[in-house]
Amino acid sequence: MDIKWNKDILDLSSLQELSRRNPDAFERYLRQFQELIPGRIEALEESLSAGERKMVRQILHKMSPQLQFFGIPDVLAPIKRLEHEYETIELSDLQQLVEVVVERLSTAIVEVDNILDTYF
Amino acid sequence: MSQTTIRSIIVDDDPFIRDLLQDKLKQYVPEVEIIDVAVSGAEGVEKILRWKPDLIFLDVEMTDMTGFEMLAKLEEVYFETIFITSYSHYAIKAIRFNALDYLVKPIDLGELKMAIRRYQKRMAQKRPVNKIQQALANLRAPSSGAKQLILMTQEGEVRLPLASILRIEGERNYSCIHLVGGKKKLTTKTLSDLEEMLSEDDFFRCHKSHLVNAAHISRQPTSVSLVMSDNTELPISRRKKEDFKRWKEEVLGTTS
Repeated sequence: MDIKWNKDILDLSSLQELSRRNPDAFERYLRQFQELIPGRIEALEESLSAGERKMVRQILHKMSPQLQFFGIPDVLAPIKRLEHEYETIELSDLQQLVEVVVERLSTAIVEVDNILDTYF
Repeated sequence: MSQTTIRSIIVDDDPFIRDLLQDKLKQYVPEVEIIDVAVSGAEGVEKILRWKPDLIFLDVEMTDMTGFEMLAKLEEVYFETIFITSYSHYAIKAIRFNALDYLVKPIDLGELKMAIRRYQKRMAQKRPVNKIQQALANLRAPSSGAKQLILMTQEGEVRLPLASILRIEGERNYSCIHLVGGKKKLTTKTLSDLEEMLSEDDFFRCHKSHLVNAAHISRQPTSVSLVMSDNTELPISRRKKEDFKRWKEEVLGTTS
């Protein structure tokens, strides 16, 4: 497992450390990401359309530790901001922040798919 | 230090956290045996009753219920609990107020090892596991005064009814809690820690060295001083003057 895993969006060095360079454990975490994140994006978009701010915060809150391990930049700052401001932030700003997160995560999913197709 | 196997259950609705915790425990803390995992609060209750674990790792916020709600469903809490939370979560105040053990997501290995060592130490000292019952009672308390603050002091663990605390004086690395009747307790918690824990319970930081209990303020002779029920006069810092006035109106309903 000496492949350089860092991609445009992902930095998998923390994940490598966590799985102690064990390919099975590494693959398990990648597959989990592949399975979990699309559903969460969908839930996020649904909650946003319904104006359910609390649910938007909750979904992002749940995803946050996983995203930290996948080293996805630009998503943790908006998530942190929403933790504190989800009740007061303008709906248009909330929408914009969620759009950034969704866009980054969609690219991350493509990168995870590519890694799994290429190496596992 | 005893190396007895610690039979544990993870209760968390996030598959990533469940896997992460299992992997870290397997790799670095093998004395912890994960006998089962529960993916919701309801399943947690069922599996705790079935397996009777020594220890549970419990998410504070699950989709079907909170960790505290899950514990309240059990008739008896005979096991130890390590909560899993995040710094920004509102429950962290309740956890710290009740001196409960917790891990912050995404779970630092050093913190995890220390939490297990603390568990082993408690077991070796045969300390009773009843902090959870007190925490649940505090969460159900009808008023702030009815709550009990659990703290580690130089005499070990103490439980202080909030109604019995007059004021808290901060020193650099510790705080002195002044109680009704002239008694004092020293704790290694800083005044800022205590301020954070007690801010929702009618305590106010009127000065960099003083945290006061609203229930024991007897009068305010000037805009920059107040007198407690034991006749101690305390300063109100100029910077806090306006905040104190607003807080007093809100909590005590007085303007003078």
